Amino acid sequence: MNYFIFRNNTIEIFFPKGYSFSGYDDISYIPSDVDGYLWFYQIPIKYDLSNLVSEIKSYIQKLSFVLERIDKNKPFIALTIDDLYSVVFSDDDFRLASVISDYNNFLFDAEQKYPNLKVIDIRDFYRQYRESELIDWKFYFISQMGLSPRLLKPFQTWFKQKLNEIDLKRKKCIVLDLDNTLWGGVLGEDGIDGIKIGGDYPGKAFLYFQEALLNLSKYGVILTVCSKNNEQDVFDVWEKNPFIVLRKEHFAAYRINWNDKATNIRELAEELNIGLDSFVFIDDNPTERELVKQSFPMIAVPDFPEQPYELPVFFKSVVDSYFKVYSITKEDRNKTKQYKANALRVQAEKSFTDFNKFLESLDIKIIISAADEFNIPRIAQMTQKTNQFNLTTKRYTDVDINEKLANGCKVYCISVSDKFGDNGITGCIIFNGNEIDSLLLSCRILGKGIERAFIKTILNSMKEQGIKEVKAQYIPTAKNVQVKDFYEKCGFTCISETAEGIKNYVINLDNADLKVESYYNTIKLWNKK
Amino acid sequence: MEQKIINILKLILETKDVNVSCSQDTCPEWDSLRQLNLVLELENTFNISLEPEEISEMKSYSDIIRILKAKGVK
Repeated sequence: MNYFIFRNNTIEIFFPKGYSFSGYDDISYIPSDVDGYLWFYQIPIKYDLSNLVSEIKSYIQKLSFVLERIDKNKPFIALTIDDLYSVVFSDDDFRLASVISDYNNFLFDAEQKYPNLKVIDIRDFYRQYRESELIDWKFYFISQMGLSPRLLKPFQTWFKQKLNEIDLKRKKCIVLDLDNTLWGGVLGEDGIDGIKIGGDYPGKAFLYFQEALLNLSKYGVILTVCSKNNEQDVFDVWEKNPFIVLRKEHFAAYRINWNDKATNIRELAEELNIGLDSFVFIDDNPTERELVKQSFPMIAVPDFPEQPYELPVFFKSVVDSYFKVYSITKEDRNKTKQYKANALRVQAEKSFTDFNKFLESLDIKIIISAADEFNIPRIAQMTQKTNQFNLTTKRYTDVDINEKLANGCKVYCISVSDKFGDNGITGCIIFNGNEIDSLLLSCRILGKGIERAFIKTILNSMKEQGIKEVKAQYIPTAKNVQVKDFYEKCGFTCISETAEGIKNYVINLDNADLKVESYYNTIKLWNKK
Repeated sequence: MEQKIINILKLILETKDVNVSCSQDTCPEWDSLRQLNLVLELENTFNISLEPEEISEMKSYSDIIRILKAKGVK
């Protein structure tokens, strides 16, 4: 990556090679041949408070000047500021605190106005250190370093993690143990009223942990249970214990039995249609953790705290390490609901013998929309996260998508609902001319023929626009084998296959079968040109 | 110590072209930013703290040897 950093202190050593830097507090030069920009200003050392305040105000003006001038299609990351050293001579002088908050609020507001701007709150990093650790005055005076070089490694780790959050690389699902994990004690021995949840410590610590997890699930993280217990005992607790926060309805799936946890987790992954590398396993028992670690190296297995009072810190580190995302979308919030509706669907499916009848009974509605400012974040997120039903696995940010649109690419997304619920936006297709650049669908909506209805609807509309043939490509990855023959099934002809397994396709729209089954209620929402 | 310092200079200045006659005048890579990295590396490797005066005097391989010896580094 080749970022240009606007700064007012010496910070070069904190960033990898390839980054370039402005002069100190110099915005006169804005290069255009870079991948993106970073704004990292720090509060200067000044004892004249009114002078300091006006200097910080001038930073706001400079930043807004730069934001107006840079390419809106390139990512721009801005760090907040915080007071690392200041001497305020009077206790009732809040001018500095107030200008700091003006500056930071300006960043958060600007984020709404400039879609390419992402704000990273550096107070999150500073908070971990004492004032005396943050500035090393020797290096301040010899090199104007506003941050101690001793913090080099922790800063790099922290910053990389923040960039990952922006890129949406995160886990999707937590597998939770019950005894001594979600509550204190052992259900089989202590009984449904004897387990420790709520009330005084340690029950209170477990209660907080449950509340924390419940709120995390509202942000799209899927909760599941894997516990060695009698299933009926756990159902009784969920139903009857008045202090429990996380109950049956909060878990998208569970395995409560005496089988080994590796088998159970594999089953959970299949049931939810999520890759094992999207799981975090939380269990107080080190033997179980070791088993899971060894069976599935791709599952994250954090060490569980020895004492219940350490749970709040444990929870925070789990969120920071695996689940923090830069911004969440509405689809994320509804995800647990959707995964559960899917489980209901699987049951409904079993009672039908004729699959078409079943599909007909679902009242499937497919809405295809052109990309717009509201769905682009979700489209970018899907290109980052979708692994299995993804024909080319090209990862894009919202900036990339905007760039594609500007270059004449066509981008459509699909929303699917049925009588069990609304899955929201769950797939997209990107055309570069008459060539399919990307085609992907969330696993949540597979198994209902929607993928074929989607592509046929799109191809129909291409045909109406006078396009004769469409090209496509399949690029194999470790995870997308299931779509290896997808295009063949849709009537495309494979014209070449490379040694790496990349397949190139073409379809002639004039004689292709583009009929979409009538039970898909398909609605196209875009301007026909 | 001598060999360690040569290695540190090679690492920090990112050039193989380092010998005992190396100095800020003869080595174009030796700029102020690399001087800062050099100070950090020397402080970490030899577990010392260099004073600002010493840092500003430290303009060549032989300066480094002299200053470190004065600090008791062997």
